[in-house]
Amino acid sequence: MRDTSRPVPFARAARAVFDLALEGMVWSRRSLFMAVLLGLPIVFAIVYRVVLATHIPPRVTPFDLYGLLVVPYYLRFAVPLAALFYATALIADEVEGKTLTYLLTRPIRREGILAGKFAAYVVTTLSLAMPAVIVTFFALMTVRGRTGLGAAVPDLLRDLGVLALALLAYGALFTLMGVLLKRPLIPGLLFVFVWELLANLPGYLPRLTLTAYLRSLVRHRPAEEGLSEIFGQVLPAALCLEVLAGAVIVSLAAAAWIFSTREYVMDQ
Amino acid sequence: MTRSRLVVLSSLVVVGVGVVGALGALYFDPPRAAVGPLPAKGLALPGDTQFVMGFDVHRFVASPFYQRFGKDRQGQGRPPGFTELEEKTGLNPERDVDRIVFAGRSVDKGPEGGVILVSGRFDRTKLSRAIETESKGVTFKSHEGTTVYLFREGAGARSGAVAFLDDDTLVLGPRAGVEATITNYAGGKAPVRANASLMALLESVKPGSTFWAVGDQSVLSRLPLSIPGAAGQGSVSLPPIKSVVVTGDLEPMVAVELTGEAVDSKAAQNLADVVRGFVALASLQASQKPELKDLASAVSVTTDATRVHVNVRVPYELIDSLAPKRPVAADGAPEGR
Repeated sequence: MRDTSRPVPFARAARAVFDLALEGMVWSRRSLFMAVLLGLPIVFAIVYRVVLATHIPPRVTPFDLYGLLVVPYYLRFAVPLAALFYATALIADEVEGKTLTYLLTRPIRREGILAGKFAAYVVTTLSLAMPAVIVTFFALMTVRGRTGLGAAVPDLLRDLGVLALALLAYGALFTLMGVLLKRPLIPGLLFVFVWELLANLPGYLPRLTLTAYLRSLVRHRPAEEGLSEIFGQVLPAALCLEVLAGAVIVSLAAAAWIFSTREYVMDQ
Repeated sequence: MTRSRLVVLSSLVVVGVGVVGALGALYFDPPRAAVGPLPAKGLALPGDTQFVMGFDVHRFVASPFYQRFGKDRQGQGRPPGFTELEEKTGLNPERDVDRIVFAGRSVDKGPEGGVILVSGRFDRTKLSRAIETESKGVTFKSHEGTTVYLFREGAGARSGAVAFLDDDTLVLGPRAGVEATITNYAGGKAPVRANASLMALLESVKPGSTFWAVGDQSVLSRLPLSIPGAAGQGSVSLPPIKSVVVTGDLEPMVAVELTGEAVDSKAAQNLADVVRGFVALASLQASQKPELKDLASAVSVTTDATRVHVNVRVPYELIDSLAPKRPVAADGAPEGR
């Protein structure tokens, strides 16, 4: 028999919340929208394969196109957006739906709730993003047969790792925003589409963004124009990994601390 | 099992199959032993190779660059000599050659020190017969069971050789280099792998490049450390470079990316400043020649710790504007069209 005077152990609590959150997260309208957003490159790849590669002289190689989809589309747009919509809603949805009380009145530690929900976010977004990247890769890289496929595989594996890291880093940051702010969506959008543009500026400013570190970890360097073309920086991989890991740990720790100490008053 | 778990499981299966397929491609694909853009057979090149250059013929032929500048405008739309070459050897370089790799060796081995690997589809009988009948002073011998054609056999270091490494790979170069390559290939040896720095540089080459070149410190140490300054005044000191990687594409524009690694971040910054200085000089010249302004803006220089990245992106319109104008014929159309 469990000692009911003590809260459920952290791991068990987190697992229970994970199961519950995963059920609500994967099968939702948000996931349908995100699946379309993250799966859009597959459509591009098929169009390229069926139409562009056969009828029109290709202006970009399949690998170039894949690089274009990984860096500007996934890393710069779709992944931050997916993280924003899921991670800011981890707690905000419970507050808005007035269901947070049911969680908080259970004998489980609040950190366990956050950990379970964050794990569900990671599993959901990885489940949507990873297959899309893999299918896009194969759809594009086999346009001209298997030539060059083997040589591009290390890039695919690296890209998958970096995208997972991006989901973790953005997810942790937006989880923090979600517990810190009442309406985190607008600041989150500003962060993704305004603040992250600093990555294209000279000097040390790019180091204040997540994009600069993530972009430096992939090998694709798509042709860019304007500031990013002139000042584009590639930061050392070790520094990138350290900073991103630090961002994840600090953001999650801060989010857990705020969530565990904050008093939530449900509007009637 | 709930619907959500089914979604996650399906996704996991797709990822699992994809990753296994990708690793399978890496393992079973013909270029499985390839290092970056260097094909597996390239690993049989002589062990004292100091720099390697590669050239993707298919990409080159399909590029706007070749369409504009490679073809004989007055002939049949092919470079001069290609038709004759095809008649004699059955080889149409535009169609049959896939890739050319040049491995350079140390300077003390002379200018003939490099070995060339040509990959493609060859009519081996016709090509062999052409070598035997069309060239004067050709002899042949067997080396490790492979026929090696020798040109000017008595010329010592200047004697050249050509041989089929296998049905789809030709090796050309000085006799010693060709024989070393054949020996390595026959014995399954990969002496180039011993050059760890060169291997690391090859792995850093952007896949899918039309042309590429890598060189390590051993070849770069022979470069001059100073170059004459502008208008012949003084000289500009160049920081020593440890390695250089060049990749280029010709579509949709001429794009060349040069990455040089300096000994430290300060040297990298100095090197970047030197390059920026030349770009600035070109910009200053723009007042006299406006098209140089566009050329100067086509070059960007960035640094990353000890590395300097120089990107040159030249649109074909700019190349056209820099090219000397053709005399206009009486009907108003440029001559030769």
